[in-house]
Amino acid sequence: MSVIVSGIGVISALGGNAHAFGESMAQGISGCALHNFTRLDGSVVSAPAYVAVNADPQGLIEPRKLRRMFRLARMAAVCARQALQMAGRDPAAMDPARIGVVFGTSFGALEITQKFIDSYIENGDGHASPLNFMNSVHGILASQIAMDIQATGVNLTISQRDISFEAALAQGMAALESGKVDLVLVGGADEITPLMHEVCSHVLMVSLDPNDARGLDPAASRSTLIPGDGAAVVVLERQGKALARLQGTGVGRHDGGGPDVALSLHGALGQPALDLVTNGRDGFVRSAAVYDQREYLWAAKGVNCVSHRGNFGTWATAGAMQFVANVLMLANRQYFAPLAAGQPAAVGKTPAVILHDAASTSGVHAAYVLTAE
Amino acid sequence: MPHSASTQPVAITGLGAIGAPGRGVAAIDLALQQGRDGLGTLDLWQTELAAHYPVGQYRGDLAADLALVPGFEATPAHLARLSRSDQLALVATAEAAAQAGLSPADFARTGAGAYLGLSVCGTLASEAEYTSAVMAAKQGSRKRPPPAALFTHEGASSLDALARYFKLNGPTLSFMTACSSGANAIGLAAERIARGQASVMLAGGADSLSRIAYYGFHSLQVVSPDGPRPFDRDRKGMSVGEGAGVVVLESLAHARARGARVLGLVSGYGHSCDAHHLTAPHPQGAGAVAAMRAALQSAGLQAADIGYINAHGTATLDNDRTEARAIAALFGENSVPVSSIKRFFGHTLAAAGAIEAVVCVRALQQQVMPQNLGLRQALDDARLDLVTMPRQAKGMRHVLSNSFGFGGNNAALVFSTGD
Repeated sequence: MSVIVSGIGVISALGGNAHAFGESMAQGISGCALHNFTRLDGSVVSAPAYVAVNADPQGLIEPRKLRRMFRLARMAAVCARQALQMAGRDPAAMDPARIGVVFGTSFGALEITQKFIDSYIENGDGHASPLNFMNSVHGILASQIAMDIQATGVNLTISQRDISFEAALAQGMAALESGKVDLVLVGGADEITPLMHEVCSHVLMVSLDPNDARGLDPAASRSTLIPGDGAAVVVLERQGKALARLQGTGVGRHDGGGPDVALSLHGALGQPALDLVTNGRDGFVRSAAVYDQREYLWAAKGVNCVSHRGNFGTWATAGAMQFVANVLMLANRQYFAPLAAGQPAAVGKTPAVILHDAASTSGVHAAYVLTAE
Repeated sequence: MPHSASTQPVAITGLGAIGAPGRGVAAIDLALQQGRDGLGTLDLWQTELAAHYPVGQYRGDLAADLALVPGFEATPAHLARLSRSDQLALVATAEAAAQAGLSPADFARTGAGAYLGLSVCGTLASEAEYTSAVMAAKQGSRKRPPPAALFTHEGASSLDALARYFKLNGPTLSFMTACSSGANAIGLAAERIARGQASVMLAGGADSLSRIAYYGFHSLQVVSPDGPRPFDRDRKGMSVGEGAGVVVLESLAHARARGARVLGLVSGYGHSCDAHHLTAPHPQGAGAVAAMRAALQSAGLQAADIGYINAHGTATLDNDRTEARAIAALFGENSVPVSSIKRFFGHTLAAAGAIEAVVCVRALQQQVMPQNLGLRQALDDARLDLVTMPRQAKGMRHVLSNSFGFGGNNAALVFSTGD
């Protein structure tokens, strides 16, 4: 059974909604810029990053609801409302038990977790911040969305490094297929905090070169990535007005000697002619090695592979941005040329069938196939 | 799981557990039978709170436990790359796999995956390293926060460890719905098998003690100085614990085809969200009722078919009041025996639902319900048939286990005898 994508919400370095994101993708605008990151020792490093714009809740969420939400939760909650609005769905008019929320996040509430630890370092073990504690759990994003829209159905949070969003997508699709829900919000969100940036820079994972502020060239870089953050939420339903159709998903591992997840999914769907394969190539040396093999495989089948990390950056759930980009390409009947160091790469054909091939350096692997309606 | 033409029964063929009462199902059986709680003074790190608030800490030597796992390289270098949560998960999984008679080669051949519920993951190490770096920075040192701790901080670390050792090439996912995580992981893995998407899955939950959880629950003022007394009128709160529970799940057909002993069935799974508050349950237990009802429906059972309920029963004021009301609302007052085992283990967070799944299957196998240790006088919010001593239950065929988490995340599992 396939399901439809009927709404999308997105907040990234490319803007605060799907329209801004789509326009930037179509025009080849990079979200990369120099940002200041304060180190634990108080020094400040200026480094390239794709940092998401602030969430604008106007007309979507009452300000009082946002007061107790931290940055990532605000982004997630606003994205959920954006996606519902685009889908033309009012959760208040639906059976709350038939609405689900499935979220993928690798590090979850990292900023607030750090603040919680700071609270007991500063105030003593017996005087930690209860508010920061309750907001520090990974499930907070899905919980905040559920409370905002009063969704009492399936509510899951999945954390599995670089495929956290894709795994959430698979679980959301399964919730629809099983008949547990009629509508499911599937999201992905992670944040780049100064601490995360500091740690990643110590292991030479992220670029500190100011010249890289023009943006990543995912295909050319074989050393560091350029980090970013953001949130995206999509509405999945069994039927309705579709932006695109999700034909199937697959989740497994590529390090265990089992069947290839992407090829198996492609085969299970009857090997539809693919116009485009998207992936998570992010310029980091270890993932470059993984994607060299993956792209060789697809090239042998004559399929073009692209990564849009040069447009919106890299973080564990950046796959959610790629999903939104893929939906928009299919919905708008256009091809988003990936950026290479701020410049559009070669022009490709407008896709009608896209396979996403996400292979993490940790060994986990996910895939999905999206088609135009 | 609903046994319709399109789904298949899900068998449990292996059990593994570790926690404050000890390592292994046999040790836990004995503690439950003897009414011996596992609470004691925290000694994993130094804190002024340790003398006042007991924990359910595993007191064994995890390195020695892992050295007993066939083929596992329990070298210091290898162990250093595993968080305490990872190690707890590995020990429990090895026990479950051994009971099921499945080797890493078998898991690889069957395309097995693993779903684990986790919440604090590798935080015990990452929070210590971060604190150390912050303190060093305050003193003018340029000590860097070590990356290794941040990478084992992620829940995926435990799954990657399981995948490497047990040669898993199916989906390996961590579900992080706070204290319902382990139950959700088992329910979702069982659904995957029921739908025919997998033949074999490892499922469960693991969490180690951590400063975040210990100080955090203390900050919420829900930790008891004398340990948890679930469903007691004068209960003062919970004790934080650690542990892991893992089950081997197979399609019943797969288990029978290879001649495996079926220990029980995962026959129902229900899940809901309160959408009410970040930490407090819905006052009437609406979400809890919805999850239990969905689990019964999924199992194709009526409330009267359930012979025992293993309650979430954290001994916090709010949880026990609302859970008692929810049970009474769905099953009737005094209608089904109920107990919580939180005083044996402490509240092991994401591991709780998985450890309790193991205990439920043992209850079915032994036809004995575990006792609600710590009870002195029952709460008066609802009249429950609380199991105050291990109770014989001849003919008990179905039991239900509740797990509730932050964000109003509710999971209920139904287990049935395998005959």
